[in-house]
Amino acid sequence: MFNDSSAEPAAGSSGSNENVTKIEPIRMPTIEEMRAQEVWNNCAVKSVASGVMGGGLGLMMGLFMGALDNPIMHDTMTGRQQFVYTAKQMGQRSWSSCKTFAVMGLVYSAAECIVEKARAKHDIINTAVAGCVTGGTMSARGGPKAACMGCVGFATFSVLIEKFFDRHT
Amino acid sequence: FFVVVRILLRNSTFFFEKVEISVLSNSSIAEMASPNPFPAGISKEQAFSMAQTEMEYRVELFNKLAQTCFSKCVDKRYKEAELNMGDNSCIDRCVSKYWQVNGMVGQLLSAGKPPM
Repeated sequence: MFNDSSAEPAAGSSGSNENVTKIEPIRMPTIEEMRAQEVWNNCAVKSVASGVMGGGLGLMMGLFMGALDNPIMHDTMTGRQQFVYTAKQMGQRSWSSCKTFAVMGLVYSAAECIVEKARAKHDIINTAVAGCVTGGTMSARGGPKAACMGCVGFATFSVLIEKFFDRHT
Repeated sequence: FFVVVRILLRNSTFFFEKVEISVLSNSSIAEMASPNPFPAGISKEQAFSMAQTEMEYRVELFNKLAQTCFSKCVDKRYKEAELNMGDNSCIDRCVSKYWQVNGMVGQLLSAGKPPM
């Protein structure tokens, strides 16, 4: 079953003309390739990488948002002082947004990884549960009712995003 | 399909190490109760034919294992080329269960008891 297609390219390329693309034989992966793939199979590595990416995204978004809305006061400060003040505001906002997004990415990725490993199946329930856990922990400060609302909202959001990406592959 | 072989190969790297050991000293289909892998009286041709039978048995086992675990674990819609993490853990569990049961059945058959 696995060895049939490796015998095929010899017969196929000898009788074909130049229009047919050449079929490469199946190449077994080396042990280093398998080990490199195994690194990404680890939940901790995946969630940390996700957290870092979320942090980067949060930085960009915080910089953008911080640049958009800040009061420009011509009377009280000179130009250079205004620039420094604006830069500080942008930095603060982007740092807080970076932290929020990093935590969100980390929790979501860790939850999805753990749930999927435990269930040993890949379907939409994993993203829903992971979204619920993330939304719940992020809005847990507002009390149980806010946690439930956050859970439902973020779960719906992540399911929609997952379906959106699924349609395009 | 390609990647399934990859991952099944990962799970069976330990199994392929065992093939060399078991060709010499397996008791499931070799002669009974011989601690010395090549006792006096077995000619070279007999040893070769034993090794060949053993190899055929192992290849059959691997093919059946790959087919069973693929049909059980991998979703047939084939949405992406890589194996998901859920598929990976499913394949791990499937292969370890299959291997364990295979070992038990082999031991029972070689000990002469009827299989249950």
